Amino acid sequence: MALLELKHVSKNFAHAKGTLQVLDDISFDVDEGEFVAIVGPSGCGKSTLLRIVNGIVPMTSGQVLYRGRQVDGINLECALVFQSFALLPWLTVKANVELGLEAQGLPLAEREKRSGIYIDKVGLDGFEEAYPRELSGGMKQRVGFARALAVEPKVLLMDEPFSALDALTAITLREEMLDIWQSPDMPVKTIVLVTHIIEEAIELADRVIVMASGPGRIVKDLKVELPRPRDRRAEAFNALSDKVFSLIEERG
Amino acid sequence: MLKIKIYPRRLINGSLSFLALAAIIALFFAYRSHAQHLIAHNIPVSLDHLPYYAFCSFYRMLAAYVIALLFSIIYGMAAARGRLYERILIPAIDIAQSVPVVGFFPAAVYFFVALAHGSRLGVEMAAVFLIFTSQAWNMALGVYEAVKTIPDDSRDALESFGARGWLKFKRLLMPASVPKLVYNSILSWVAGWYFLIACEIITVGPASYRLPGLGSFLWEAAENGRNFDLAAGLLTLLAIIVLMDMIVWQPLSTWAEKFRYEFAAASGAAQSLGMFDALAGIGPAVTRVLRSILLPPMRLIASALNAMPRGPQLSPEQGKRAGQIVRTLVIGAIVIFVAWALAKGFFALIRTLSQPWPSDAKEIPAAILASTIRMTVAYAISLAWTVPCALAASESPRFNRILSPIAEIVGSMPATALFPVIVIFVIQVTGGMNLASILLILTGMQWYLLFNLLAGVNQVPEDLKEAARAFGLSRYARWRKLILPAVMPSLITGSITAWGGGWNALILSEYFVYKSQTYQVIGIGALLDAATYKTGNGVMILLSLLSMIAVVLLLNRLMWRPLYNLTTERYRLDY
Repeated sequence: MALLELKHVSKNFAHAKGTLQVLDDISFDVDEGEFVAIVGPSGCGKSTLLRIVNGIVPMTSGQVLYRGRQVDGINLECALVFQSFALLPWLTVKANVELGLEAQGLPLAEREKRSGIYIDKVGLDGFEEAYPRELSGGMKQRVGFARALAVEPKVLLMDEPFSALDALTAITLREEMLDIWQSPDMPVKTIVLVTHIIEEAIELADRVIVMASGPGRIVKDLKVELPRPRDRRAEAFNALSDKVFSLIEERG
Repeated sequence: MLKIKIYPRRLINGSLSFLALAAIIALFFAYRSHAQHLIAHNIPVSLDHLPYYAFCSFYRMLAAYVIALLFSIIYGMAAARGRLYERILIPAIDIAQSVPVVGFFPAAVYFFVALAHGSRLGVEMAAVFLIFTSQAWNMALGVYEAVKTIPDDSRDALESFGARGWLKFKRLLMPASVPKLVYNSILSWVAGWYFLIACEIITVGPASYRLPGLGSFLWEAAENGRNFDLAAGLLTLLAIIVLMDMIVWQPLSTWAEKFRYEFAAASGAAQSLGMFDALAGIGPAVTRVLRSILLPPMRLIASALNAMPRGPQLSPEQGKRAGQIVRTLVIGAIVIFVAWALAKGFFALIRTLSQPWPSDAKEIPAAILASTIRMTVAYAISLAWTVPCALAASESPRFNRILSPIAEIVGSMPATALFPVIVIFVIQVTGGMNLASILLILTGMQWYLLFNLLAGVNQVPEDLKEAARAFGLSRYARWRKLILPAVMPSLITGSITAWGGGWNALILSEYFVYKSQTYQVIGIGALLDAATYKTGNGVMILLSLLSMIAVVLLLNRLMWRPLYNLTTERYRLDY
């Protein structure tokens, strides 16, 4: 059975003049251990889709199943990583990372142990007591990753996690996240990544779901069968990204 | 670039220890002269008793502020919670803010004195209530705005972890409100001092109630011509305000920077902490003592709660339903209570108004006209000096740098403290009240205008000014084409608040009892005061209050609101 199943998910937003449909009949599965990327032009509702999977935005119609069961409200087995990092400026790195653990009601000692582990894992040890505003963009997003990983979710949802970073920082962080994902002691294996950068999707994911906008819908579901580590300059890589690009181009 | 290092713990400890220190000193003075005062009804004006008066005023302020703080957090967060709350609570603030609060003081005195069975406590409660109404609204609006402007992603982040209730309040809603709460607290204290002094003056002046405090001290000193005492009283007030600013507000403002989403490096913000560091040593000790006192009982309660038999285990759905039922019950109870109170008030209103109207009810239209003219004159005078000041500030950064802090200090002094001096001086010189009344209204108006105009001038983008210079616009053309249009929205906002302050001052300014002789001018404030203190005619009080409120609300709806919409639409600076 697939870990996540989306069945005919649609979403309308109430609008000043009537309703606006942002998602139209989205259906796909995500298997356990799979890395799925959703690519599409801006405004195709892919970020909304991610929030529907997490349960913080209600859908208008359709179903999201987790291990075959419908989740009422927020799916606490998921954790989100945000484009804007979404760190609380008044909390230290450590307190930010412990936010989800606090919500779970873990005792202080356990929280400190876990935040220590994951701050270490994303390479931020020594910065536990720093405030977000004292960190660079790349470091902020490391905190974002640590915060999501610390709750040891079954599914990691990433909403354009590298898009607010400069190109060089994004490359480094992407590689490091891939390393963490592939390391044997990594608890979360299933990842859904939303991005508008086609190369990013192809480099990271096992599967690329291509969306078009107005209203947001799936136009293609592609397996990426390139061997890892993937070389962005390889011919097969370029061929695939050209294909995705033209898919978006003609429907967008 | 200057790097700012903030030590929040030290700041909190410092302010805590200082407050504790102040409380102990104040309590000592208060206790010393407390016994004589409750017995003696008339207030001896002498320097020995000045600390006691200052203490009374300060604690009245503190009580009102604590209530206003709690109220504003609850109210603001409730308003930010949902559409329905928003639609009821925000317009309610709008009305409450524009109603002249001072007019309700007599009514509040009657109500609370009756409630407290005629003891002085009733007058105290009325004063605290009035100060509260002058402090609460802008703070509540601040909380509301802060919660509304929390970035969606932050909310989503907490929600995705399932963080709700207390945790969400502690980690997100409350911290996000801190900057606006601190900023508005400063404004609220300024407004609070103004009304506090006003209450205390009213009670010694025309009314027969006694409310010991700096306001009554100043009035009695002025009435008896004791200039030395008068100066000492004014200095004490100034000292309290300046000390509060240095010890509480400046450190708090620096601390509040920590809670901002976008961190603008306000250079030099951390400089005023010298005294604080010295005091910070006491802080941990105080915290330790407080902890050792407070923690054991709390632990006891917690363990008792844990030991209690657990209720039936609820499934999440049942829990949700139970929560909904509780919420419906609570909201229902509140709605029923409010409806009951409103209905009761409405019937009382009808009953009072259906009594025969007194003959001086005919004077109300003329009185309102006279008052409005006086307001307009005061407004024109305010404009005449604040607009040139703002333009000069836009020309010369140096002038701006000098003017802003001076205006801030002078503007934070409660103008009501100067009322006794102004009134008595003008009465002695001219023998009449008209000039005094206009001057008093002016003191309640001008600062709002000046501060808003200065803020507007400072918001004009530097590159627009450079562009105007680069194209060789003359100074006059620059003012006409750039500065004046750019400050238009600030001018209107300032005018709205200035008129609000003016109406309050108006009520105080039209009627005075000096050396047992009544001085008054034709005006709605004088009618209200005369009805309250001299004739005690309930119908007349109600009629003058209602007609004044009607005029205020009409002016807001028909003039200020459209002007505000027009200017913010046309002269908004987002290009």
